[in-house]
Amino acid sequence: MKKVVIGVVGNDIHVVANRLIEISLQERGFEVFNLGVNTFLEEFIDAVVETDADVMLVSSLNGEAEGWSRELPRLKAQYDLQGVTFMIGGNLAVGEVDADDMERKFKNYGFDLVFHQVDLNDGLDALEEYLS
Amino acid sequence: MSLLQREREAILNNEYVDSFDFAEVEDFIKNASKDLFISHKFKTASNILVQPRGGFPTYEKVFALYEEFKKADIDVLPLTIDSNTRLNDYATSKKMLQLSEENDIDMLNGYPLVTHGYRTTRKMITHFNTPVSLRHGTPDARLLIEIALASGIFEIEGGPITYLLPYSKNFPLDKAFLYWKYVEKVSAKYSKLNEPINRESFGPLTATLVPPAITIVIQLLEMMLSLEEGVKSFSVSFAQTGSVSQDIVTSAVIKKLARKYADMIGANDAAMHLVYHQWMGAFPSNKEFSDSLINTSTVLAALVGADKIIIKTRDEAFGIPTKESNAQSVANTKYTLNMLRGLPNIVDAEEEENLTNEVNEIMEAVLNDPADTLWRQVFNSIKNGIIDVPFSPHIINNNELVSIRDDNYNIRILKRGKVPISDKSFAYEKSKIKIPKDSTVASEIIRGIGIMQ
Repeated sequence: MKKVVIGVVGNDIHVVANRLIEISLQERGFEVFNLGVNTFLEEFIDAVVETDADVMLVSSLNGEAEGWSRELPRLKAQYDLQGVTFMIGGNLAVGEVDADDMERKFKNYGFDLVFHQVDLNDGLDALEEYLS
Repeated sequence: MSLLQREREAILNNEYVDSFDFAEVEDFIKNASKDLFISHKFKTASNILVQPRGGFPTYEKVFALYEEFKKADIDVLPLTIDSNTRLNDYATSKKMLQLSEENDIDMLNGYPLVTHGYRTTRKMITHFNTPVSLRHGTPDARLLIEIALASGIFEIEGGPITYLLPYSKNFPLDKAFLYWKYVEKVSAKYSKLNEPINRESFGPLTATLVPPAITIVIQLLEMMLSLEEGVKSFSVSFAQTGSVSQDIVTSAVIKKLARKYADMIGANDAAMHLVYHQWMGAFPSNKEFSDSLINTSTVLAALVGADKIIIKTRDEAFGIPTKESNAQSVANTKYTLNMLRGLPNIVDAEEEENLTNEVNEIMEAVLNDPADTLWRQVFNSIKNGIIDVPFSPHIINNNELVSIRDDNYNIRILKRGKVPISDKSFAYEKSKIKIPKDSTVASEIIRGIGIMQ
């Protein structure tokens, strides 16, 4: 069973989306460690190390994603996280932005899978495909 | 000096509070007009009391809002508190109030009651001579309720569970129980001087697919925690579920069980009331549809026999309403209520029996916890998942219970987690659920949340 650490990054309290991601992943047979809302990036990394997770799935809805994601390269360099898939999804920016630009930007921060305003099930289908 | 009094002096000895004159405040409450007490109004009113939401940063804007409400023949005035005060950040409230006053823009999302103080606020409350209800969301409301009661605000909403689980991720729940014990004790103490102070629990919780059994259990427990400290007037509440039938059943069961559990702890003399919240979920962005939803909620409040209805406005999907729009909503609600006389008594015995069983099953588990006090039993029960609130952001919540809507929009329990409803009750819940073949639980949840949009 693949292990996934999930949570909402920053001072973001969008609990409904967070819980739906948990339930959907469980329906697909993942073991989920849900850190909930208002979670800092360091806490994600700690949980990935502690649970030996296969996937770290960050969600963000209030536009804070970019500010926090800048920290990812530094944190990834501190730990041996080979083999961990990094995924981010939600509303990655406020206002109108180009989805391709967003994907490029977040891949540069070290995410393998980036979903800006993509349907939850489509995003999780892509995750399963990436893992197989 | 009693321990309570010592704690009160410590709480009120705060750099953001002018000197608090205990004797003068007691004297004020003792001689206050009966018209300020909602507990008195409940006894004398023949209609459902109508209460909106509302609060602005400055004294002048709240005064103007109350004037507008009075023109609409309002029954209960609201005072919604700003979010900095709710988090005990009085320094920020003070700064933002000053900016609001200097620049004539609202820099706060409510009235910073502690910053204005009781001497100022009391002038407004006594001027309107109408019951005021304190709406906040504060885990540690000790200072706030002292200032509210001293101002003449004689209804306090909230509780250690209902003001924490929907709003906070980290605030320690055990501390919240102790801070709210203070609120109950002070309310009980003042209740001996004149008409009783009314305490009201916040039944909507997360307003997101909360099964009625969970809502009722939490209402009963907050009621018991309040009554055991000597509070004599208490309102249980719930929000429109989305199902007409479930609203009627929930109301019947909560009324019956509130009396039962109050009597069980010897609070036979406490007055119980029922408050109904108009739809608390996501509103349509079409304002005409919002009017229709609000109107339907009003009919339901009458049908369930509520003592008070808390209303929304057609601007709900867009932000804080203007005073005119808010007052119009009061007038509309009163207009609709006036039509609804001599309504039929609808009973669904099967649903009532199942819901009653579920509540009793969970209550039995809570009260069988070996802890020595009720608050510790409740604390343990939340910690071990006996009480599980869907979509609570709080780390202590178990998050195992899953609920979805059936075809009639009733909220049903699909996965019970550690909530100890019996196999029979659970089988009844599951027998009502049909998930279409091409659907998933997650999409059923999304559909269930968005039914009014």
